[in-house]
Amino acid sequence: MDDRAPRSPLRLPLAVVCAALCVAGAAHAGSAPPFAARAGLELASAAAQAWSADAALVYVENDEALDGAGVSPRWSYLFYSASEDRARLWSVRGGRIAAAENLDMRFDAPPVASGWLDSGAALAAAERGGGAEFRKDHGGRLETMLLMRGAFSEGDPDETTWTLVYRAQGVPSLFVVVSAADGKVQRTWRG
Amino acid sequence: MRPARVLITLLLALVATAGHPTRSAAAAAADSAASAPGPVVKATPPAAVTTVSVERERPVREKLPTVQFLRANRDFIRARFDRLRLESHDAHAGAGDIDPRFLAYRRLLAEIAASKDSVARASDARERQGVFTSVEDLAALERELDEMERQLDTQRARLGVLQADFAGRQRTELDLVITGGTLAGRVDSVRVTLEDGTSVSSTLTETQRGSLQHGGALEVFCGLVEPREQVIEIALMGEGWSGTGHGFLSIEPARDRLTFLKLDLSQAKPALGIASLTASTWLLDAGQDASPLRAEAGQERP
Repeated sequence: MDDRAPRSPLRLPLAVVCAALCVAGAAHAGSAPPFAARAGLELASAAAQAWSADAALVYVENDEALDGAGVSPRWSYLFYSASEDRARLWSVRGGRIAAAENLDMRFDAPPVASGWLDSGAALAAAERGGGAEFRKDHGGRLETMLLMRGAFSEGDPDETTWTLVYRAQGVPSLFVVVSAADGKVQRTWRG
Repeated sequence: MRPARVLITLLLALVATAGHPTRSAAAAAADSAASAPGPVVKATPPAAVTTVSVERERPVREKLPTVQFLRANRDFIRARFDRLRLESHDAHAGAGDIDPRFLAYRRLLAEIAASKDSVARASDARERQGVFTSVEDLAALERELDEMERQLDTQRARLGVLQADFAGRQRTELDLVITGGTLAGRVDSVRVTLEDGTSVSSTLTETQRGSLQHGGALEVFCGLVEPREQVIEIALMGEGWSGTGHGFLSIEPARDRLTFLKLDLSQAKPALGIASLTASTWLLDAGQDASPLRAEAGQERP
């Protein structure tokens, strides 16, 4: 004997509606317009100031795919507060903060210099400095852009730089470091 | 001749506003509108009120991946930072220009003090004189009243300057108030926890509980919040509530605006749990004549 509860006649239409809503939601989520990194900074800074008055921007990274103009639908802005002794990030998408979280690692990085070059200009420099050639030769793509101070700069550790990471199958990735002050390519390496 | 009541109103308003510019000026404006003929305070349309549901469980939100490169290369990046050494450099920092508004505030304060002195001097003289003995005295009084009117006008202008400065720099803020007495149980304290870990607790006195029962409101939290959708944790503690008075509500404070969140306890009882609270939000009107009065609950606002 089948002792399962009888199937509700509403169950199937309900499932269809739910599925449709999910698809619609996914479509909506994927439709956020891409923007350059600087465009989300003001909103993230407003949130950071609410969190801690001494919050300073220390790191920027794209959270979703980049296109050829150096824009992405979502960017993360990581701030460090000395008084809180921790780092917190805000991920901006479609003009809103899509995520906010404390970073689960110690990251007392120096603040990036103000007036940093936007992501579009940094990408253009990196393309001229070997990125375009790498993509053409290996069928690669730009995967990551990150802005920070010190860690990737060989000469002056005080300089704020963009680091662009190109990836391609079967070959080492290409790293291009671009000065966020004047757009000059500082160094490139494969790894 | 003006009635003495107007004189008293003007005096009180001028003295009060000299001590506490923004709040008292609004109160004085309301007082004078209520007690004396003159310009009527324009009724503002009700702000949009959004009902918020209080839930027992924390709403589940989609977890978006963030800073994936940083997380994947955390050891490498940390090692690079550890290699950095602090170096001292001599540098000369140039002095920046002082915001002219800061200088203006000092001048405004001096003018306020001067106005207060003038009013106090006139008041003292009037008290010493005791009664009016002639028509000349009445004429003198009329002149004094005119002078006070002028002082009041200049005070209004000063307040307008301050209002424009500070209302124009509104940041994202949340003001959480509770109203109403619970139907059952007794609330001894309310704790509010924001997503960034900020936690504020307010203990209720017997007087405050009585005030809530009779339509009063108690501010539990007022401070900066992040301009994004977020979940606020609410906990009522006290007789009957400690086990059931814990819940969550989702709000999205508008950027650079003051958002009010009201928790109404008037229909709440422990048997129904935290969901028996009703919650609503609204924004402070950002008009030129914005004043603290307009944020208060009334017939047009919950």
